[in-house]
Amino acid sequence: MSKIMVTIQDLHKRFGENEILKGIDLSISQGEKVAIIGPSGSGKSTFLRCINYLEQPTSGTVMIEDKKFAEPNQKANEKHVASLRQEVGMVFQSFNLYPHKTALENVMAALITIRKIPKGQAIKIAETFLQKVGLANRKDHYPSQLSGGQQQRVAIARALAMEPKVMLFDEATSALDPQLVGEVLQVIRELANEGMTMVLVTHEMKFAREVADRIIFMDGGVIVEEGEPDTFFTNPKHPRTKEFLQQVGN
Amino acid sequence: MNHLDFKTAFEQLTPSLLEALGLVVTLALLSFVLALTIGMLVALGRLSKVRSLQVVLIAFLEIVRGTPLLVQLLYVYYVLPEIISYIVGIWVPGYHMNISAFTASIIGLGVNYGCYLSEVFRSSIQAIDKGQLEAAKALGYTSRKAMWHIVIPQSIRIALPPLGNYFNAMLKDTSLCAFITLGEIILKTQAYASQTFLTIESYTIAALIYLIVSIPLGQAIRIMERRLRRHV
Repeated sequence: MSKIMVTIQDLHKRFGENEILKGIDLSISQGEKVAIIGPSGSGKSTFLRCINYLEQPTSGTVMIEDKKFAEPNQKANEKHVASLRQEVGMVFQSFNLYPHKTALENVMAALITIRKIPKGQAIKIAETFLQKVGLANRKDHYPSQLSGGQQQRVAIARALAMEPKVMLFDEATSALDPQLVGEVLQVIRELANEGMTMVLVTHEMKFAREVADRIIFMDGGVIVEEGEPDTFFTNPKHPRTKEFLQQVGN
Repeated sequence: MNHLDFKTAFEQLTPSLLEALGLVVTLALLSFVLALTIGMLVALGRLSKVRSLQVVLIAFLEIVRGTPLLVQLLYVYYVLPEIISYIVGIWVPGYHMNISAFTASIIGLGVNYGCYLSEVFRSSIQAIDKGQLEAAKALGYTSRKAMWHIVIPQSIRIALPPLGNYFNAMLKDTSLCAFITLGEIILKTQAYASQTFLTIESYTIAALIYLIVSIPLGQAIRIMERRLRRHV
């Protein structure tokens, strides 16, 4: 039985009157790859953003290994949240690279500012991770000089350089031109094969089925159905899951 | 009208005006540093979530922007020392505060421009995509660190051209300090013109001195603007 990396208990998130997440429980083991799918507005992105407290849950707990972001119903301590976030890497739909820094500087910034690693060493680490995503030869390029796929690979390298225990992917390929999706998926696939614990919110059903160990279908702020990919896609149980899979043409 | 005598005016007036220009540039630089500091602090205060601080800052901005710079300079030079002397005099009998025209000019220009610069800083910070802050937070930055290390450096790039233009404007607004006895370009010109009656020549030379500084400065700002646009 492998170690539990992420534990989510009775998670609720409300924006004003609008309850986006209506009680979610989930635990993710070390090395597990979980894909979250569902219609837009189902709360899947909000859920993912609660896992590293970019959205502060209205109630419920989120734990990375045995460390809670905050005690239930208590206000989170910003410094504690920031330090726990270092264990959780996140990749955004819109890349969010720093436009005024080169690829290398993007990757090394947090190493220097947050991890307090000396500059020379940070450069080496950053180069290693750019190499890993196949962009060693683009290290001095600015984001504006890179394609969308390359930018997203730099963003992945930036997250990985912090050596997180869990990686979150928030529709990492949705903003990309179709011909650039493949190179990003390839990097994620390699990461999965290396045993990284990952949670992916995605619209790429084929990829979810190929990479994930578990598929979670969310709708209306709750987990409607979850299961191992082959059974999930070939034999969905819940009517809403069936309807959704039909709509996306699976 | 007498015939124009630019030669005499140029020979007699220019050396003292160039000296005054040195004073003006020093004054503008010091005032601008004060304005930058006030501007950034006010901007951060207005972007903070502390409601009472925002109310105080907005009131301050309205007062400063609602009154002419000249009035503010007169106020700092003539009124403020009186008020401070009166208040301190309650505890220290016979106290009288003195303020030099130069110090009053720095305070007046610095506070006035600080208010306008705060809007430049505020809008340039708000212009940075929220994703930048989120990306930094996701990597373990606290909000404060993300602000100083990631957001503000980017916003400065946006702010630099308008900051340059404000500096250029301030350089010319130093002429108002003549009203509070600062021996800058206009005060010297006025004195010379009234002694010699070379009115046209004197004020033309004064105007040219401002132009000689502000036109290249404006060009430099345009070049900087183009270079900064490359990686935004």
